Amino acid sequence: MSEVVLQDVAKHYGDAVAVRNMTLRIADGELVALLGPSGCGKTTTLRMIAGFVDATSGRISVGGRDVTGLPPNRRNMGMVFQNYALFPHMTVAQNVAFGLEMRKVSRADAGKRVREALARVRLGQYGDRLPKQLSGGQQQRVALARALVIEPDVLLLDEPLSNLDAALRHEMKIEIRQLQQSLGLTTVFVTHDQDEAMSTADRMVLMYQGGVEQIGPPAEVFGRPRTAFAAGFLGIPNLLAGRMTPDRAGFAFEAGPTVRLQGQPPIAGRAFLALRPEEISLSTEPPATGRNALAGRVEIMTYHGSAVEYQLRTDAGPMLSARLRAPGLGGQPVLPGGTAVWAHWAPEAGVLVNEH
Amino acid sequence: MGNAQAKTIRIGYTAISVLVIGFVVLPLIFIVWMSFFSNRILSLPPEGYTLDWYRRAWQMADFRNGFFLSLRTSLIATAIALILGLPASFALARARFPGRETINTILMSPMIVPGIVGGSSLFVFFLEVEFLTGWRIAGSSPGLIAAHSLIALPWMIRLVTTSLIGMNPSVEEAARSLGAGPLTVFFRVTLPVIKPGVIAGSLFAFVNSFIDLEKSLFLVGPDRTTLQIALINYLEWNFDSTIGAVATVQIALITLLLLVTDRYAKLSRAF
Amino acid sequence: MSMSDTVAQMAPPDRPDRRPPRRIGAPFLTTPALVFVTIGLLAPLALMLRNSFNRFDPAELMISAFTAENYVKFFTDAFYQEVLLRTLGISALATAICLVAGVPVAYFLARHVSAFAKRMLLIVILVPLLIGNAVRTSAWMLILNDRGVLASVLGVFGYEGPLGLMYTATAVTIGLVSVLLPFMIITLNSVFEAIDANLEDAAGSLGATHLTVMRRVVLPLALPGILAGTVLCFILSMNAYATPVLLGGPTFHMMAPTVYQQVAKAMNWPFGSALAFILMSVTLILTVGVSALVQRKYRRWSE
Repeated sequence: MSEVVLQDVAKHYGDAVAVRNMTLRIADGELVALLGPSGCGKTTTLRMIAGFVDATSGRISVGGRDVTGLPPNRRNMGMVFQNYALFPHMTVAQNVAFGLEMRKVSRADAGKRVREALARVRLGQYGDRLPKQLSGGQQQRVALARALVIEPDVLLLDEPLSNLDAALRHEMKIEIRQLQQSLGLTTVFVTHDQDEAMSTADRMVLMYQGGVEQIGPPAEVFGRPRTAFAAGFLGIPNLLAGRMTPDRAGFAFEAGPTVRLQGQPPIAGRAFLALRPEEISLSTEPPATGRNALAGRVEIMTYHGSAVEYQLRTDAGPMLSARLRAPGLGGQPVLPGGTAVWAHWAPEAGVLVNEH
Repeated sequence: MGNAQAKTIRIGYTAISVLVIGFVVLPLIFIVWMSFFSNRILSLPPEGYTLDWYRRAWQMADFRNGFFLSLRTSLIATAIALILGLPASFALARARFPGRETINTILMSPMIVPGIVGGSSLFVFFLEVEFLTGWRIAGSSPGLIAAHSLIALPWMIRLVTTSLIGMNPSVEEAARSLGAGPLTVFFRVTLPVIKPGVIAGSLFAFVNSFIDLEKSLFLVGPDRTTLQIALINYLEWNFDSTIGAVATVQIALITLLLLVTDRYAKLSRAF
Repeated sequence: MSMSDTVAQMAPPDRPDRRPPRRIGAPFLTTPALVFVTIGLLAPLALMLRNSFNRFDPAELMISAFTAENYVKFFTDAFYQEVLLRTLGISALATAICLVAGVPVAYFLARHVSAFAKRMLLIVILVPLLIGNAVRTSAWMLILNDRGVLASVLGVFGYEGPLGLMYTATAVTIGLVSVLLPFMIITLNSVFEAIDANLEDAAGSLGATHLTVMRRVVLPLALPGILAGTVLCFILSMNAYATPVLLGGPTFHMMAPTVYQQVAKAMNWPFGSALAFILMSVTLILTVGVSALVQRKYRRWSE
């Protein structure tokens, strides 16, 4: 069992707080993604788990064993670094064998395990090469093999895909997920890319300014962001400020009009209505009753291949983005700039989020 | 709380570093401190404190004249290094031409050839030219300035070239595309961007010329001694606190120049 | 793994659009400086080389000749060989001490201090370097002489006898180490800074202790730089003048002061010139030889 538990873990640098009291339980075999913008504390958290950074307070345990005061070399964790950190003066095989050597594994046994590890990442032929003779994707897989060959209790991945091009990143994402699942490894994955987090993680931890903003399975966090930051970070540009009406069935924009809500938990005080651009339809006529609508004017239209995106100025003031299917693919004809339109959406499409 | 092993390692490195840096710096701290002692001979413990040694040092013609000769020589040498070094740096940093590496090595060679060897060869060279032409060069002001310019030149070229190489060439292209002519680009864009390198180069050139001992040794005349030569001449016969006072003034001057240089350039890049 | 992947990641080392352009007139910008260095250094050196084959005459100073007698004199006179051997020995010792003391300090500066503290410490280290030989050696005389700081401090602990440190090989070595250490520290510091700290973390997370990390990862990667720093210190100490003269005294002979003595005092230019070239050649041969030896072992990944 290698369940990882962070109990009130914090890191302060003088007055600056890098991570504020974080409590997180990562189940055995679970892949948790720490997601957030740069400076949110995700890398510091990972480095505290690895032992490179001392926590200012709190405890970290792995499989019930308290590792808080242990140096990195006694934590038995496999780590993949953003820039891979392959030893440039050692061959691929020597790189992979390094951890086994530290564990005093016999030469013959180590050789066998290195071959297996390299075969697992499909680099069986590359053992004698030097890291610089490999492509970025291959180096990445050596780093993975090096971290896995020691049979770590926990696998730590620090932005492992950020130095790869788009196609390779997609390939590696799947490969990492497959390896992690087949080995049943408890894994912490740090990334700033929500797609990476969503496609690999069992749960994601959205972090912001050193604190946890939201924890949950990707579908849940994506579908129901709880805060304005979460909604914004997950790519919802339309955040309209306002308050829930006393009967909890409507939302009064600060800019004026009130729209209907459906299926939203009650929020007291200032809140935001988050609307995905894809959920908004546009029409030149007032829409059917039953849909929420705001009147406005088209300001800018941009093409995105299969979609067309409109920036609208609502008569009430706030801007809205709407993303519609492109005309050539069955969408409505393009609305030129200046056209007066109605932006409308189904009441259940709006997600109510907290200000903080 | 915390990782005891990392802490031990840290303490170990800190302790060694304090010892080593202390070893390098402590003598200077002592000489500064003891320059204020009223003791006739530089020794511990202090019998009292006085500024007398500074007055005495100033009254000694060797030190006073030496200081001004050094100052003047090094300033002129720095100016010559600037005039010769700036264009050369541009060529070395910006252009690709056959022999560039060789030219670079030649221009850096005054730094590589040992001071005593460079100084003695220059001394003999000057004397042989004197035999042939009758011009007096060794022990003359121009001879000394030439030798010091030779010391200053490689420092200037090295630091200016580094800052030119580090400059993003697109900013000059941007200025051109905005309508600036080549001269305007040079004075309004290039020179301001590399100014830190030029300042650091000048300061390093000045300091290394000012403290030179080995080359000057051969080229000073009886009534024309630089401060460093005056110092070691005095040391041969005396060891009183006048030395401490002169050393303190020089330490203060060099420290000040280093602090100024540090504002403009990464000091470690000079080596 | 696809082929395109391999090709795409192997970026050329020098992006063609960032390479300096060919400019026809550019070399001429170096001409004034080049002429100056040629007249001020290369010509005198060439003359010196020529002079080293001339013959010394007490009355006429120098007689034009083409003889190897100056070199022969050096290699047949035990006195001069001893001078060379002493210079080599002291230089090797001072360089070794600098290496041992410099590595931890340079590593400390590269890894354990804040950017500001490092800047300040570098200045503290550079002041003794750029203070000049005259001032630095006089400071050491202050510490080492029989009534100096060290003697007073030892006196407090009951040591009464004379120190007898001045004008010894020990004093010269101490003085040399104190001037060479800053060079070593600054050179090694940039070397350690160029090594990705993640490599050390990676080795640590794979189970290596700090000593193993140093031995297996940091030092092998730093080796070319360490070699450069060592060579620099060795050359500087081979050519040291002020330290042996002031701390070694009139009877402690090293090469550079002997060159000065022959050229400026004895006015024996031919022999002084020969000494200068022997000094430079021995230094060059040794440093090139050692460098080649060390680098051969590590060429595979160092370039």
